[in-house]
Amino acid sequence: MKSFEFYEPTTLAEASRLFAEEHAQLLAGGTDIIIGMKAYTETPETVISLQKIPGLAGITTDGDSISIGAMTKVREVELSGDIQQHHTALAEGASEIGSIQIRNLATIGGNIAHASPAADTVAGLLVADAQVDIASADGERSVPIDELFTGPGQTVLTPGEIITRFRLPKPASGSHYIKHKIREVMDLAFIGVAAAVNLDNGTITDARIGLAAVAPTPIRATAAEDLLKGNAPTPALLEQAGETAAAGCSPISDLRCSAEHRREMVDVLTRRTLQYALERARA
Amino acid sequence: MSEYTVVGQTVARVDAVEKVTGAAQYGADIHPPGMLYGKIVRSKHAHANIRSIDTSEAEKLPGVRAIITQDDVPSGRRVFATDKVLYLGEPLAAVAATDPDIAEEAAERIKIDYEVLPVVQDVIEAIKPSAPRLHGDDTKDGPNRREISGQIRTLSRDKENDHSDEISKLEAELEAYPDEVYYNISAESHTEAGDVEKGFAASDVVVEDTYVIPRVHQTYMEPHVSVASADSSGKVTVWASTQGPFAIRSGIAGTLGIPLTQINVIGTTMGGGFGGRFGVIITHVPAVLLSQKTGRPVRVQMTREEEFTDGRPAPGCVIKLKTGATNDGQILAREALAFWDSGSVSGASIGSTIRVRGVYKIPNLKVDAYGVHTNKSGTAAYRAPGAPQAIFAGESQLDEIAERIGMDPVKFRLMNMREEGDAVPAGGSEPKVGYKETLEAVADAAGWWNREADENQGWGVAVGDWTNGCGPGGVYVSVHEDGSVRIFHGSMDITGTDTAISQIIAEILTVPYESVTIRRGDTDSAPYSTGSGGSVVTFTMGNTAKLAAEDAHRRILELASERLNTNVDDLELKDGAVHIISAEQPKSISLGELAAYSLSTTGGPIVGKGSFARQASTPALAAQIAKVEVDPGTGRTRVLKLVASQDVGFAINPMAVEGQIEGGTVQGYAWAMMEEMQYGEGGNINPGFVDYRVPTSADLPTVESVIVEVPAPNGPYGAKGVGEPPITPTLATMANAVKDAIGIRITELPIKPEKVVDALKSNGR
Ligand SMILES: Cc1cc2nc3c(=O)[nH]c(=O)nc-3n(C[C@H](O)[C@H](O)[C@H](O)COP(=O)(O)OP(=O)(O)OC[C@H]3O[C@@H](n4cnc5c(N)ncnc54)[C@H](O)[C@@H]3O)c2cc1C
Repeated sequence: MKSFEFYEPTTLAEASRLFAEEHAQLLAGGTDIIIGMKAYTETPETVISLQKIPGLAGITTDGDSISIGAMTKVREVELSGDIQQHHTALAEGASEIGSIQIRNLATIGGNIAHASPAADTVAGLLVADAQVDIASADGERSVPIDELFTGPGQTVLTPGEIITRFRLPKPASGSHYIKHKIREVMDLAFIGVAAAVNLDNGTITDARIGLAAVAPTPIRATAAEDLLKGNAPTPALLEQAGETAAAGCSPISDLRCSAEHRREMVDVLTRRTLQYALERARA
Repeated sequence: MSEYTVVGQTVARVDAVEKVTGAAQYGADIHPPGMLYGKIVRSKHAHANIRSIDTSEAEKLPGVRAIITQDDVPSGRRVFATDKVLYLGEPLAAVAATDPDIAEEAAERIKIDYEVLPVVQDVIEAIKPSAPRLHGDDTKDGPNRREISGQIRTLSRDKENDHSDEISKLEAELEAYPDEVYYNISAESHTEAGDVEKGFAASDVVVEDTYVIPRVHQTYMEPHVSVASADSSGKVTVWASTQGPFAIRSGIAGTLGIPLTQINVIGTTMGGGFGGRFGVIITHVPAVLLSQKTGRPVRVQMTREEEFTDGRPAPGCVIKLKTGATNDGQILAREALAFWDSGSVSGASIGSTIRVRGVYKIPNLKVDAYGVHTNKSGTAAYRAPGAPQAIFAGESQLDEIAERIGMDPVKFRLMNMREEGDAVPAGGSEPKVGYKETLEAVADAAGWWNREADENQGWGVAVGDWTNGCGPGGVYVSVHEDGSVRIFHGSMDITGTDTAISQIIAEILTVPYESVTIRRGDTDSAPYSTGSGGSVVTFTMGNTAKLAAEDAHRRILELASERLNTNVDDLELKDGAVHIISAEQPKSISLGELAAYSLSTTGGPIVGKGSFARQASTPALAAQIAKVEVDPGTGRTRVLKLVASQDVGFAINPMAVEGQIEGGTVQGYAWAMMEEMQYGEGGNINPGFVDYRVPTSADLPTVESVIVEVPAPNGPYGAKGVGEPPITPTLATMANAVKDAIGIRITELPIKPEKVVDALKSNGR
């Protein structure tokens, strides 16, 4: 690891000012950044810890909407009763990250800001229609989660901008997340698929599908969503939704598996995750 | 009731407390004063000519104390590459610095001018005339060029069988082989018994297939590490994490031309080895060279990435196999042609191809095996070297035959197994081995005979055989005035062998296990001991320990006879004291009293010596049954049940034996389902645990182990080697279970989800 200056500011403004400097990196749980520093893929000259800034962690509920602080541990997201009930896909995604030890360190802000297309909380946030609140020395702004990512490891965040919280509006009535992997635990997603649905009298009134690791950024399968909305969830419709979602992604081949396999799994797992989400919506 | 009190019992390992509390000293815990940090400078290309190595920039870095290249190897023996590198990560130089980060930065600053050459990573590509030649020499009798002696073109593919595209392509290439010569051949081995052509002609069913087994790493927890300290008199001390300190001593002596007695190797507690921890050059020799040059102790420690690029893993292999049998289930002939991926140097365990014979009566057998050079690091042993690969092919194909002739796979195996007294090809006759007992035991324990399977579930069975090695060893045992027993020896403990040795000595000296302590010496102090590999230790050191304890036992009775004024024949050592047998007035004397008395006798203290080198070993069998469920949508396979039985001869410490059975079985499962070193043009592309997957405890149910005890005539208490056999059948066990679940034979490992999905698709599902 290269040597670096370490700061532990106690205010967001101070953190943002330091982070706006060149070659600066934030430290949240450290489970991505420290690995990168050890491997010399990250060589920051300044490392700014977010751990001493009050108010960045925790889950709060306000009526129908839920707010998750960026510094909330993914283990807390996984175990939160509110998230489990209203945003099941997100709780399931959080529960898929690494091991319990890792989840007790890792933060949801770090998982998203790292911008890996395979991040396990991202599909759940996509189908929750999350808003990402961002703070900097210049003030605050908010972007929808599906506009946050620009490429692998790339986001719209500008120097000095820090994610403060994720705001989840009124939940869908049922959601689900499936991670395609080889190992039961401690594996990275070959692909990840989340679905959230609202049902009214046997008709799908709203459907959202989030896909991870099938394109340069996490994506919504909007064509498949459109197909579902306003229709009854027949097996044929779900099959069509799977095929449409698969057609709409642009996966790569790498050492884990081929693009073809990823595309096929989008098809299979979109159908499956929709089925589970529908079961939950009916329950 | 067992006639024994200590052996045959589960006792806590002698090293349990130090392991659990973290007190055990591993290689990286060694830190002599003034120690420097070494770093090996490695090739960044998989195949290249080296035009120049420029160390000047690195030398300028403050804190750098030495930089060495092949020019600094006085003996001239190859430690570093000079004009050519053959794989990514091949050592070119080494640095010693006052701090690990400085050493790393210095290594980065060394400028190497490469002329990049074409790369070959696949054995079938490498044998072709068009392949780049790794070792130049292309003359008719040169090392690279071999006349074909395998029956390659007469083996035609069985078109009925299911194949992945990959395998079909490969088979087509083998069949259409354009030349009479193989290239890049590092070694060959040929065996023939009977007449296979006749055997196939007489067979009702003939099955042939090509099996592809990947290169896998031993993935021991502790990466290679050594600390070397050369003093001004020329004496060299090496703290080495190794399975064989004496082999490291002679290896360093031979490589660097240092007199044997000027080298002391201290074996440190080992974080696993599995056969991969015998190499001399890997870190030990560079550490010695750097210490000699700087006059300071130097530690050289590999990272996990270095383990993957420059470790010595198990070779991958392509095996074309053909088996013929009669409709009533008699195997008549088997023929194998194998290409082992030996990497840049020779050394792959090609001789193990013969294990396609298994434990069956096969009257006609022909095996042709070649080691093939590719742009990868060399290979080494991994738990029953070569056997899992060959047995995967052999046992997969047996199930195909069983299916064609409509016979139960367990019954088919039982029917063909060799029996005591059968002639063995190497000469002599088959000893008594629990082949059938072990297979029957696993079938009974797993519920094979009334097995049930839902849709997409399946059962698989396979057996694997292995015979432990044997080697020299020495043990001293002494009895002290408080009655305690001390053991001294020089063999490395990986699997609990110190515990087994202690149990054997406690048994013979009739003392509680707790009053025995065992100490391992270094090569300066301990008697010679063979390396801890090849399942040798309990067999060899157990026999040695027995001899030492019996020697001490003799002296104890001698002392007691003096003390009690009784004939030795009337004395008995029991419960830690010597008693007069059938005395009217019972008289006895404790071991402690005898030890105290011994100090003032002419004969002296109680010291027993044991030394032992060779005895015929007896084969062992491992038999396993798995029940799996395959998700046809995603191709993921879940293990529902995994039962492993093994003929261990005699279980000196049953819990330790179960640990070996479970560990070996899990490693076999991993090789079947997920482990694979992947290579591209640039070299190894998954050099870490993110993309080189080893299973976690969440991937498997508890492995149920079943101990079968058919004693080995020459083993201590009948024990035979237990470490290696359990990995041998699991690859086939898993493939056979998957076949039963989905009806498709996967012949290329690992059985990843994608492969299963593709296989289902090409079968129209
Ligand atoms: C063994 C292991 C297994 C893992 N398994 C998984 C897995 O299965 N699935 C998965 O998705 N991930 C996995 N990860 C990756 C990692 O744990 C997660 O991505 C984690 O959520 C990262 O969060 P962190 O708090 O540790 O981030 P850090 O490492 O502290 O930071 C990561 C990056 O995010 C930036 N950042 C952090 N917080 C903010 C913020 N509030 N605003 C702006 N930028 C910010 C930092 O500057 C840095 O670049 C694994 C990691 C390890 C070590």
